[in-house]
Amino acid sequence: MTGTSLSAVHIEGLSKFYGDVGALVDLDLDVAPGEVVGYLGPNGAGKTTTIRLLLGLARATAGRAEVFGVDCQRRPVEAHRRLAFVPGEANLWPELTGAETLHVLGQVHGRVDEAYRNRLVERFDLDTSKKVRAYSKGNRQKVLLVAALTTRADLLVLDEPTSGLDPLMEQAFRASVAEARDRGQTIFLSSHVLSEVEALCDRVAILRQGRLVESGTLDQMRRLSAVSVEARFAGRVPDLSGLEGVDGAVVEGGVLRASVSGRIEPFLAVIAQAGVSRLVVREPSLEELFLALYGESPQQPEAVPASAG
Amino acid sequence: MQAELAPGPPAWARLIARTVIARRTVRKSVRSAVLWGYVFGITVVSSAVSYAGIYKTAAERRQLEVAFGHNLAAGALFGPARQLQDVAGFTVFKSSMTVMVIGAVWGLLTSTRLLRGEEDAGRWELLASGETDLAGAATQGLCGLAVAACVVWALTAVAVVAVGRWSLHVGAPAAVYFATALTAGAALFLGFGALTSQLAASRRQAASYAGVVLGVSYGLRMVGDAVSGLHWLVWLSPLGWVEQLRPLTAPQPWAFAPIVGATLLSAWAAVCLAGRRDVGGSTLADRSSRVPRLGLLSGPLAFTLRLARPAVTWWACVLAASGVLLGTVAKASGTTIVGSSVRQVFSRLGATGSGAAAFLGVAFVILAMVVAFQAVAHVATARREEVEGRALHLLAGPVSRSGWFGAWLAVATGSLVLSCLVAGAASWAGVALQGARAGFWSVMAAGVNMLAPSIFVMGAGTLAFGVLPRATVPVMYAVLGWSALVDLVAGFTPQSHWVLDTSLFHHMAAAPAVGVDWKADGIVVGAGVLMALVGWRGLLRRDLQLG
Ligand SMILES: Nc1ncnc2c1ncn2[C@@H]1O[C@H](COP(=O)(O)OP(=O)(O)OP(=O)(O)O)[C@@H](O)[C@H]1O
Ligand SMILES: [Mg+2]
Repeated sequence: MTGTSLSAVHIEGLSKFYGDVGALVDLDLDVAPGEVVGYLGPNGAGKTTTIRLLLGLARATAGRAEVFGVDCQRRPVEAHRRLAFVPGEANLWPELTGAETLHVLGQVHGRVDEAYRNRLVERFDLDTSKKVRAYSKGNRQKVLLVAALTTRADLLVLDEPTSGLDPLMEQAFRASVAEARDRGQTIFLSSHVLSEVEALCDRVAILRQGRLVESGTLDQMRRLSAVSVEARFAGRVPDLSGLEGVDGAVVEGGVLRASVSGRIEPFLAVIAQAGVSRLVVREPSLEELFLALYGESPQQPEAVPASAG
Repeated sequence: MQAELAPGPPAWARLIARTVIARRTVRKSVRSAVLWGYVFGITVVSSAVSYAGIYKTAAERRQLEVAFGHNLAAGALFGPARQLQDVAGFTVFKSSMTVMVIGAVWGLLTSTRLLRGEEDAGRWELLASGETDLAGAATQGLCGLAVAACVVWALTAVAVVAVGRWSLHVGAPAAVYFATALTAGAALFLGFGALTSQLAASRRQAASYAGVVLGVSYGLRMVGDAVSGLHWLVWLSPLGWVEQLRPLTAPQPWAFAPIVGATLLSAWAAVCLAGRRDVGGSTLADRSSRVPRLGLLSGPLAFTLRLARPAVTWWACVLAASGVLLGTVAKASGTTIVGSSVRQVFSRLGATGSGAAAFLGVAFVILAMVVAFQAVAHVATARREEVEGRALHLLAGPVSRSGWFGAWLAVATGSLVLSCLVAGAASWAGVALQGARAGFWSVMAAGVNMLAPSIFVMGAGTLAFGVLPRATVPVMYAVLGWSALVDLVAGFTPQSHWVLDTSLFHHMAAAPAVGVDWKADGIVVGAGVLMALVGWRGLLRRDLQLG
């Protein structure tokens, strides 16, 4: 990075090995202040590991991580003053009520926006007089979300924060994150809910088997990726086999479906000549993008024949 | 394609799916069952073997019988003695109470952990996944626990039958009867633990309810055995029933009736209650809503105190009750500490002289084991806070690891000090109530004297917590269990100095029978603090463990 602007998150060569297994290998990542970054990857990719290293809860094998210039491994407490964290598993003290839990988490963090807390409690439809023991998983998750959001911390680190939330609450979550973003808070969001990431994030980083495989804005990633096309022909469907960048062509009753990457002109020329009667070109959804990225694993498991039953 | 009618899974596969909780319970309890089965067996063997070595002549044996036969002090602590002139009676007297109490503690901890603990952690929902309901899960859990109880019983029985043949000169049926009596306490408290698991709202609560039952049982039988007019109290106590089995000496097999009855009844009640409540719910009223109580929520130390408050209170009450009880029986028991054999035993446990003070000296050594157990419980709670992901919310905020764990150690130390003081004051009050004289300050000092072993145990726990976190609780139990066993066995059997020196309680002066050895206490505490410091460094360097 150049200039004096300080990254909200700065990760350099960060690695974590459990024995010989690289849970995270040589990660470099920067998040600018005010940015909303989606952190994605299949199960076991190393997302939670990254976050634990970022919080100084686990010791890095190599590399370093900083939050607003503070080394998270060496001075975790100082780093934690600038951030709030929501884990995916909401384990709380069963004997405390929701209100007591919010109170103690606020006290520990030191600063809370009480008015905002009351608004959030209402928005998330949370009965805070109940003991945590009596809460469902979704309600416990809400307690942690409210606690984190009301700190108004400069950086929100969220690890699958919406697991267990119903669609209505998912909307409340999105509205709250959007508010935080509009206030200039930085958000680091690990998630499996791709629509959520698509709706909220400026940028995504994709991890696979402990390594960063993609990072960029959604637009950039789309531009690099293939578009899917569907073309209907009145007459004979042209032969596309020699054409560069055309994949997965399927012909079905005069309709051709394929994905095209790179330059699209040669493809257009061929189909125009063949007399295309209808053409639909669609950008890939984030989901398709991911399935493509997650799927191209070097050690892809053998397809298991599905058993009847 | 023609859809084929898919055949359901075969019957054996369904059976396997339906016993998944039972098998898991067996798997998770069998290791400790084997360990304790061995320990019980070895305890019996060592008592039997040592008898011949110490009491060589018939005269010595008769003297032992005369001294202990009607000794209330020994009866109060270890149960009544019978037929000490032969090895069988001596072995029963020496091993029964220790094995019975350890077995009961094992039983209640195991059943609350594997029934309530597993349920609270949500593992049953995952495992059963529609194959069974809560009552079914509880039934399976109980079946698993029954297997564990059988393992303990079988290992003990093998040892007792062997020693019965070679050294006690009793037949296999009598030996099996003895082994059954030894492990009956474990079975009873497996059942009680299962019942309280349904009554309480959490594992911890369930264990403390069952713990109260154990404490009251011990207290009732103690008074019943020590105060001649109150012998009927023994029949109100589950531990008393076990005592009334009188293996090898004057067997009363019909005492099995209340034992078997209570065990089966509590198992049956547990299943019934499980069927009537929600997962994670309790049978006794547990209000789920209330106005917020914001006291003690303002920082790591205050919050830790709030989390530990129920445990702190509970332990203080346990120690207060034990203190009053021991103090009350001290005078009556102490006057019977006469005759050289009894004095010898008491002095091997560290107490000299006779009277209430001598009795209290030995009682406080045993009470110190309870206080050390309390230390284990506090550190184990901190460990659970970490593993179950609650400490995470503080440690991911601006609370350092030192701050978090330091708060737990501070609260634990405070709680131990409180328990010791309460125990001292309560036993002084108990003694005073009986009109006996004991110096207030010397009894209080004896209370404080109990602190050193528990600090050592806490230090060992902290060392493991920092360096080998998974071993935190086992290490503490190992230190405590070994020390207690060596010291109790040593009371009746002279051991080599090398063995004795490994027991924490051996380094503890049996105050108030003798003066407190502050220097020895200081060394034990120092060693504990040293271990804690090493563990502390490890804690700052290791990964936080979750799940
Ligand atoms: N304490 C540990 N010991 C050994 N291996 C571990 C440990 N913690 C994580 N791993 C391994 O590190 C890898 C990354 O795990 P991580 O939890 O970071 O994945 P994740 O991306 O968060 O997955 P998910 O989407 O399932 O939450 C996994 O292969 C996991 O098995
Ligand atoms: Mg994860």
